[in-house]
Amino acid sequence: MNIRLKMVLILTLFACISGGVLSLVYIISSPLIEANMLEEQNRAIFLVVPEAKSYEEKLTEGINYFECTDTEGRVVGIALPAEGIGYQGVIKLMVGLTPDLRQVMGLVVLEQIETPGLGGRISEEEFQNQFKGINTEPAIEWVKNQAPEKDTDIQAVTGATISSRSVVLIINKRIQDLRTVM
Amino acid sequence: MEVFLIFISAVLVNNFVLSYFLGICPFLGVSGKIESATSMGFAVTFVLTLSSAITWLINNYILIAFKVPFLEYVSFIIVIAALVQFVEMFIRKMSKTLYDTLGIYLPLITTNCAILGLALFGALRKYGFIENIVFGIGAGIGFTLALVIMAGIREELDLADVPQPLKGAAITLILAGLLALAFMGFAGLISA
Amino acid sequence: MTDLSNKGIFGEFTKGFWKENPILVMLLGMCPTLAVTTSAIKGLTMGLAVLFVLTCSSLIVSIVRNIIPKQVRIPTFIVIIATFVTMVDLFLKAFLLDLSKALGPFIPLIVVNCIILGRAEAFASRNRVILSLLDAVGVSLGFTVTLILLGGIREILGMGTFFGHVVFGPRFDQWVIMLLPPGAFITLGFMLGAKNIIDRKFEEKRKS
Repeated sequence: MNIRLKMVLILTLFACISGGVLSLVYIISSPLIEANMLEEQNRAIFLVVPEAKSYEEKLTEGINYFECTDTEGRVVGIALPAEGIGYQGVIKLMVGLTPDLRQVMGLVVLEQIETPGLGGRISEEEFQNQFKGINTEPAIEWVKNQAPEKDTDIQAVTGATISSRSVVLIINKRIQDLRTVM
Repeated sequence: MEVFLIFISAVLVNNFVLSYFLGICPFLGVSGKIESATSMGFAVTFVLTLSSAITWLINNYILIAFKVPFLEYVSFIIVIAALVQFVEMFIRKMSKTLYDTLGIYLPLITTNCAILGLALFGALRKYGFIENIVFGIGAGIGFTLALVIMAGIREELDLADVPQPLKGAAITLILAGLLALAFMGFAGLISA
Repeated sequence: MTDLSNKGIFGEFTKGFWKENPILVMLLGMCPTLAVTTSAIKGLTMGLAVLFVLTCSSLIVSIVRNIIPKQVRIPTFIVIIATFVTMVDLFLKAFLLDLSKALGPFIPLIVVNCIILGRAEAFASRNRVILSLLDAVGVSLGFTVTLILLGGIREILGMGTFFGHVVFGPRFDQWVIMLLPPGAFITLGFMLGAKNIIDRKFEEKRKS
């Protein structure tokens, strides 16, 4: 057989088999992956808005958020997913807010690849719990190596100001975006 | 401003070699002489710039548009391999001298983690088209910088009295560690 | 063909642990080695992912080695490897979400891990299926053990834990630098040095 034709044929053949096998694996695994994602989302939402019993996903002008309600259907909070770039890579967060968006009810860091031991400590509860009850207006701020004074301040992780700052900036920006559409 | 920040961050703060550990193999292999390090650096920067543009187009107009994200890795690596082949043929036709300096490094670039790494990081960060290209150029320059500095140190190393068991790759790794330590100082550049 | 009488089947399997250790001797696959070894568990996961990809792709490459024209050998191998890497990635996302997140883009980067293409090109494309499998499993287990060792050292000194279990008491001052990039380079550098010393000791013993 013509060698050039054979080359093209073989490569195409392998590419097709690869595509076929992968779509099969994807079809099998995607329900599992989606279930995983959903479970994680549920866990995060009920963690950041502790009073919530159920939630409804809302989408306004490209910004999605979850309106959380208690057993009687009253809106008790907003769970807002946010993401942005930290020191090393993408940070994904879920922020719990009061319905008027003025106060943070809770924060969970869903995903981050910051430096373990430094920036990675934004995943620790000690850092995340600082956000409970913090005021979002005019904006959340961060302080270094000292106890927070104002009700909008959180203390940055020692040696990881950039990661801590990124978390604050991502939250501020997302809340700002949400305010403009709500 | 945003674009400038991406550039500085890719060159210094999050240097591909010293902070993300991408492209370590050529970093250890080709950093013996400043001259070859520079050529390798340019070849990688060239391919990084082109591939940052092409993988962005593929990701946004094929993978996302047709909802086939699971083909991401296969398609990226095929494109990179083809691109490297194409660049090699192009340079051979264009300039004999350029080919003689860059030629031997080009085949090695396909398996340079920096190229695929850039494509993956760019897709993860959802950069825009221009931002992604700037990210690519920055990453390439950062790679070249690390490679050339390392080559400079290793040329001097010939005169140093290195303990016998650490000779060769071991001392190169330890030097890379010290260099990475120095580059960590740049972290302050993007803090307000 | 590798000379069987020289090494034997057992030799093909064990060479990856010491004599041809992919990291310490051949300096292959350095990117994941340095990047993911901030803890022993991440090292183990990366090692097992490589074990799966390398074994499967060696198997396929070795089976189809005679029908692939040599001009398109490398692209075909890369497609095969990338396919298996995507499978591992989907598997981790479906069953081990936390680890998948922690390893991030370093799972897809297995595609360009020189160990895998290197073994496919140098060994599996020239040898029978059984030998290729043994070679693949041996080399990737050697890789895994080295990753756990490096990850273990960095985790113990950097966090005071090993596989998440506390090794030193709460008063241990963590060497955070071990978890940062410089710690990775320097630890691996000294591991190479240690291997050289051990090799020399054996050499001297054999001579005397």
